[in-house]
Amino acid sequence: MRALVLLLAAATAPALAVDEDAAALLLADKTSTTAEQSSDWRVYAETAVRESRRQGAGIALHGARVSIDARFDKTFAPGWRAVFADRLDLNRMDGVPGNRDINTLKEAYLSWQAEPDSIVDLGRINARNGVAFGYNPTDYFRAGALRSVVSLDPASLRENRLGSAMLRGQALWNGGSLTALYSPRLADQSSDSVFSPDLGATNQRARWQLGLSEKLSAALSPQWLLSGGAGQSPQLGLNLTALANAATVAYFEWSGGRAASLAAQALKSPGDAAFRSRLSAGLTYTTPNNVSLTVEYQYNGAGLDQAGWNALRRGPAAAYAQYRGFVANIQDSPTRHNVFLYAVWQDALVKHLDLTAMVRYDAADHSRLQWLEARYHWTRVDIALQTQLNTGQSGSNYGALPDRRVWQAVLRYFF
Amino acid sequence: MKFKRLIAATLLIASAGAAGAAPNAQAILAASDAIRNPGKPFALSVTLVEYRNAKQTDGNTLTVYSKADANSGQFRSLIRFVAPARDANKLMLKNGNDLWFFDPSSKASIRLSPQQRLLGQAANGDVVTVNLAKDYQAQVAAEESVLDGDRQNRRCYKLALAAVSADVTYHRIEMWLDASNSRPVKARFYTESGQLLKTAYYRRYQPQLGVERPTETVIIDGLDPNWVTVMRYGNYAWREVPEVWLQRDYLPRFKPE
Repeated sequence: MRALVLLLAAATAPALAVDEDAAALLLADKTSTTAEQSSDWRVYAETAVRESRRQGAGIALHGARVSIDARFDKTFAPGWRAVFADRLDLNRMDGVPGNRDINTLKEAYLSWQAEPDSIVDLGRINARNGVAFGYNPTDYFRAGALRSVVSLDPASLRENRLGSAMLRGQALWNGGSLTALYSPRLADQSSDSVFSPDLGATNQRARWQLGLSEKLSAALSPQWLLSGGAGQSPQLGLNLTALANAATVAYFEWSGGRAASLAAQALKSPGDAAFRSRLSAGLTYTTPNNVSLTVEYQYNGAGLDQAGWNALRRGPAAAYAQYRGFVANIQDSPTRHNVFLYAVWQDALVKHLDLTAMVRYDAADHSRLQWLEARYHWTRVDIALQTQLNTGQSGSNYGALPDRRVWQAVLRYFF
Repeated sequence: MKFKRLIAATLLIASAGAAGAAPNAQAILAASDAIRNPGKPFALSVTLVEYRNAKQTDGNTLTVYSKADANSGQFRSLIRFVAPARDANKLMLKNGNDLWFFDPSSKASIRLSPQQRLLGQAANGDVVTVNLAKDYQAQVAAEESVLDGDRQNRRCYKLALAAVSADVTYHRIEMWLDASNSRPVKARFYTESGQLLKTAYYRRYQPQLGVERPTETVIIDGLDPNWVTVMRYGNYAWREVPEVWLQRDYLPRFKPE
């Protein structure tokens, strides 16, 4: 009997496949497609409501935000390109003195491509380096670039930031490129004024950078960087990626050079300049059902070691606050060793639902930042629910953040 | 000596006769590649419409710029996302297994593994041009009639393709090519373990860049046949693709008129 069933199954399988194929082809017959045209604009509006509970007392605070984000990128004459990116955040928060509305002029520059292999740019440019996900030691222009933080997702922090005013030139050849840029000193102080271009945040001192990429083999294409500026020694950087197997990408990002410790810089204490390294090394593994898992080790040789960190936490509150504020502004880590986990599941369980989870773990004080987002998207609309939990002892890296728990619901519309 | 020459001549004639009887699978595959892929650098637009249980669940439009490598003969491609709006102007660079994704908003160039998919059912390798004859060893498995994409019986060579390069999306492919003109008709793509991943039909042949080419591929999932993606190609154009475009550092620069 079983043999008969198997025989019948074997006989009907090809017929079923033919029927299924015919149904699919019928669907294709009925498909109408309209050729979409590429646009020079990408504009979206976003509204968000949030509830946060402070550490300790657990009092709930509520807030709302409306944002508009626009990016324009147009070739207006052969070889000439104009780029403009701007974001306006209108914030209303309980318990915050004054409501902070902030405009972030992310980019505004002109680009001239005299030849296919040589390009010059002038204006405010988000010059970003780094292959790591959670901590980018070679992203030299990240200092002072955050003007409005709307999400702790590293992708959002990279996107919603100020570029620096600079002149940049790039020469390209088959398999490599050389980039040189100069960013002058243009202002002394950062500005809280709503529509300020805030050049004081990004162009407080003159800086320069050289970048060289060269393909060494089909699998290896390192990028070398040399960055310097007024009041600092040159820093050497390296970015490297490799394919470990068909599902795994390995990456390594390192920066090193003579520098004072972050504590000496923040607290204006006597110079302790020495050769210091920073690095991020990680792996991204993608499962067959398209879940990408990243684990990253982060080292900051200019941050405080465990003993120094504990001493600072036990010491005067003003020094602690000054150190934390300085480190946050330059988007660095206050301690030496950190671990970062990041997972993205596209089309999780249902089509168009993306789940993203992130954990930042500080090895010095065992504090953690946990962040989770569920985002569902239609053609023009995204809705997202985000939650964040900061845990750790008082004065620890994440335990000292003002909020213990944050919930945020976001609605985004693409025009 | 004369006897040896006679044997050699006989063997030569016999082998020539055998070659004439059995079609050269690799040559047919190369001819089919030439039908799918223009012989010079080019650009085209790809529209993907995805269905689940006969309901449309997704739609994407891409522009693809491709150029064959002078040494390997394999195509390198730059893919620009056109629609939907949230993905507009994002880029993907595919050079064998060297895959990069670039988002102009965050300026992040992220290296992808071949297993990472950006386009739902379609593998990153599905949306770009591939010269199969460069990456696969072909054998004629059968000559048979199959139903083509228009549900017509068509006399085909069934080729069994085995990957000779690690830089490929599929380990094994069965491909049916029209016996009269080497046009691709249908293909089945398998994992290393022999599991059917996808079935593809090549159809809507139209004159494009001097050759009748398939302008639609219908992809049917191997596990869930109700998961279907229709890929349509249009706006074919010869397009110079400078070598400097085909590297990670050019991604932030890529802005074709």
